[in-house]
Amino acid sequence: MKDHNSASSMMREPSRSISRRTFLQGSVVAAMGAMELASRRGMAAAPSRLERKGKVIDCHAHLTHHSRATWEVEDRKLIEAADKLGIDQLCCSTLTPRRPATADGFRECNRWTAEGMRRFPGRVLGYCYVNPGYGREALDEIRLCVEERGFIGVKLYNEYTCTEPVVFPILELAIKLGVPILHHASHSHYFVEEQPRMSDGGHLAELARRYPEAMLICAHISGGGDWEWTIKALRHAPNVMLDTSGSVTDDGSVDMAVAVVGVDRVVFGCDSSMTAGIGKIRGAKLNAQDRAKILGGNMIRLLGRRKA
Amino acid sequence: MIVDVNAYLGHFAFRRLRHNTPESLLVLMDSKGIDKAVVSSAGAITYRNSQAGNEELAEEVRRRGDRLIPFAVINPFYAGWQDDLQICHEQFGMKGLRIYPKWHNYQLSSQCCRELVDAATERGMVISIPIRVEDNRQRSWLLNIPDVPLTEIIELVKACPKARFILLNGIGYTGCSLGQKDSALPRNYAIGLSRLTAVLANELGQLVTNLGAKRVMFGTGMPFNYPDPALVKLEVLDSSEADKERIRSQNAMTWLRL
Repeated sequence: MKDHNSASSMMREPSRSISRRTFLQGSVVAAMGAMELASRRGMAAAPSRLERKGKVIDCHAHLTHHSRATWEVEDRKLIEAADKLGIDQLCCSTLTPRRPATADGFRECNRWTAEGMRRFPGRVLGYCYVNPGYGREALDEIRLCVEERGFIGVKLYNEYTCTEPVVFPILELAIKLGVPILHHASHSHYFVEEQPRMSDGGHLAELARRYPEAMLICAHISGGGDWEWTIKALRHAPNVMLDTSGSVTDDGSVDMAVAVVGVDRVVFGCDSSMTAGIGKIRGAKLNAQDRAKILGGNMIRLLGRRKA
Repeated sequence: MIVDVNAYLGHFAFRRLRHNTPESLLVLMDSKGIDKAVVSSAGAITYRNSQAGNEELAEEVRRRGDRLIPFAVINPFYAGWQDDLQICHEQFGMKGLRIYPKWHNYQLSSQCCRELVDAATERGMVISIPIRVEDNRQRSWLLNIPDVPLTEIIELVKACPKARFILLNGIGYTGCSLGQKDSALPRNYAIGLSRLTAVLANELGQLVTNLGAKRVMFGTGMPFNYPDPALVKLEVLDSSEADKERIRSQNAMTWLRL
């Protein structure tokens, strides 16, 4: 059985019922302010308008677990926020409220993600969330989600550090299917007791060396501790993309990522911090072509390597 | 007109900042349409003697007072703070101050802090309190500075009803009396929007509803932060143009008598 978001249909242009503001085309307020200011000072207006070329894809989003009574409203709000901010598609996983996830827990989450893909066709793309510790069950779930339900990739959280051997079969299957793995990651200069098996950019770089054919996405450089450390740790890991998501809006973070790993390895994400996500890309010093790559082009390239 | 109540100049001890000189900050402000910014010394956050940072700042903003509005950083537990406050106000023309209770290791409820607030209030100065400087998860191995708890802010605004506070870089106000409608707190504080959500939970919209647009101010946190996220928040805020204008500039202009 195929869902609406099958591989063939998942990259189509989204249909929208409401007229949304196109934030990535720039801020009217800011543009007007800058032009007014510039003309007052007798200089050329600064280009505060952000040219929007191509599709905008949030590579890191989440649907709400159905144990929350408000899940339907919250999912709707996510799409409305995307509408407001000019985000065409959201790559979503649904996570269990508590980790480690059980097999039943992640299967339930993935069913809800599939439902979300049907409720918001063309807007929600699905990541299959699994706990690698469940071995065969995790692998079967990935096959089901990618091959039958049209999911676009795999989401791994913090049940295991990504360099632990239990994770390797997941990598090998993702390589076979040609889909990316979005991996939760953070690097703090202290031990994070709540997440003892947290992966960081260094672990992902090590995993990437072991599996150079894998497509890895290091989650939320702007919400994963010391982003300068993370970016530097991933410099020599060409098959790891850096996801810009997270609530931190530190000036220079996106610029440094582009400078160190190259624009082709940076992908736009929000992880629910949506104005922060859009604002950072708008604030980074990028030409229109590079901005378009980060906002969607790089993710489209990644998703285009799918084999299933 | 856009007035940013949350900007800085100088160096920060744990990360290189761009746009941290008057010239480069003004270029950034021009590119974003920001007319004026309240600035304080980033270096003074970690200097033992914060007055050295205030002196650097005063020198830097000299002749740029039309756009850069200097605020002092005062540590009420450091010797001579009363002299520093007087110099900052009378000689440097600083209209307000920023206090860092966690970075400078004191309680907002302490007698010294209350004396500072009273002295600043007597001078008509605004007191701004950054709830945080950076996200704690990226902190250096050298230190662990927590956010200022909103519970401590509540006690301060209650204890000093005549003072005027601007709360910066915080979230979660709607979860306590600071951001709730018809709370018994005095209306002596305004909230900067830099970290507030403007979609999904939309705390910014809730604060405008609960407290009124007169109690919310535009601020970016630049050059620590990209200014654009704050601009985007204001743009997506589902509010009247009159309310947005209050947030964008009018409230700050009124409070700072600009």
